[in-house]
Amino acid sequence: MIASTAPAAPARPDHEVLRSQQWALLASLLVAAPDRDALDLLAGLTGDETALGQAYAVLARTAAEADAEDVAREFFELFVGVGRGELLPFASFYITGFLNERPLADLRHDLQLMGVERAEGRFEPEDHIASLSEIMAGLAMGEFDASVLGCGAAGEAGFFARHLAPWVGQFFDDLAVAPSARFYRAVAEVGRIFTDIETRAFELEAAAHRGSGGRTV
Amino acid sequence: MPREVLRLAVLGVSYPPANVWARRVVRPAALMAEIPPLERGALMSEQGEVRTYYMGDHAVVLHSGETSHYIDNLRAARPSLWVSCDGDAVRLVTADPYEGEAMASDPERIVEALAMPPAVAARIEAFIAAHHVEEVFHKRKRVPVNMEHDPRAKRILSDDEKWVQSRGKAGLPPKGGQ
Repeated sequence: MIASTAPAAPARPDHEVLRSQQWALLASLLVAAPDRDALDLLAGLTGDETALGQAYAVLARTAAEADAEDVAREFFELFVGVGRGELLPFASFYITGFLNERPLADLRHDLQLMGVERAEGRFEPEDHIASLSEIMAGLAMGEFDASVLGCGAAGEAGFFARHLAPWVGQFFDDLAVAPSARFYRAVAEVGRIFTDIETRAFELEAAAHRGSGGRTV
Repeated sequence: MPREVLRLAVLGVSYPPANVWARRVVRPAALMAEIPPLERGALMSEQGEVRTYYMGDHAVVLHSGETSHYIDNLRAARPSLWVSCDGDAVRLVTADPYEGEAMASDPERIVEALAMPPAVAARIEAFIAAHHVEEVFHKRKRVPVNMEHDPRAKRILSDDEKWVQSRGKAGLPPKGGQ
């Protein structure tokens, strides 16, 4: 796996596709528990010596040993629960302390401008970590266009800075230490390192952008 | 809730109409603590064109929750009872001035504040003495959020804070104890 550190190019180079795939992987693991087939696929992942590579290697090992039913129960304890799960994976909760607050309204406004909406039959609010990851995957692939957003939120970097950067690191830290997390501890490690790289890459990109005197991205 | 019911006789007076288009209207004019042995609607006296009718007897219900209103009433220059009528029929007699004045906002109704008979005033005073509870008005103010007194939902729910089925058909021990 290669992480993105380079500024975006007009075409879809390999690293953007790989970024997109990693966001999509996070989205698929956080929206529902993986079944046996998905766990087998995860078990086939390999990683190099980088921190992210190591995290993927751990995820692959954990997936190989995990039982699909246990993972499903763990997902239930973490994100569903009776009354509430151990975690509330929503931007609004992490930023304001309450669900369905202004961050969700801002996100909905931005999504409306981008022409993105919740799929039919999905009832979680849009500021769920899985849907935000999915949107990031779409942005990396160029399926969605965030250049229409204004007020400093323009572009993929702006969307990330506005809707994910304030809380996603804290969320993966919490996921790593949640009492029921076993399989998801490995997911949290991957998510934490990957979003760290993303954050730094977007900052580098912004710095390069400023340095070049307003070169178009 | 303690309450007490008094019965009062209501007298109505009807004056001759002021013009040819108006009709006679019976308006409540006085209250009597003793109930006379008369039929409802009986003519009691006729002085020239002014007729006095007996409008029947009606209950006054005293509620313990409204004693502060009765105190306001008794402290007024003239303690009154409010009589509200639909046509000739008495619908409500109350010692609560706020309830009485609220009835007066309906132009379809005839509402009169009539002098309270001294016997009734004495009974209301006894009722107040028995049931009044002084409530101090407390002006609420917005207070800034204090995280210690008003903690937010936890970011991570620990095992012993979770809802567990500790009885019923499962009969399992609480999860925190395992």
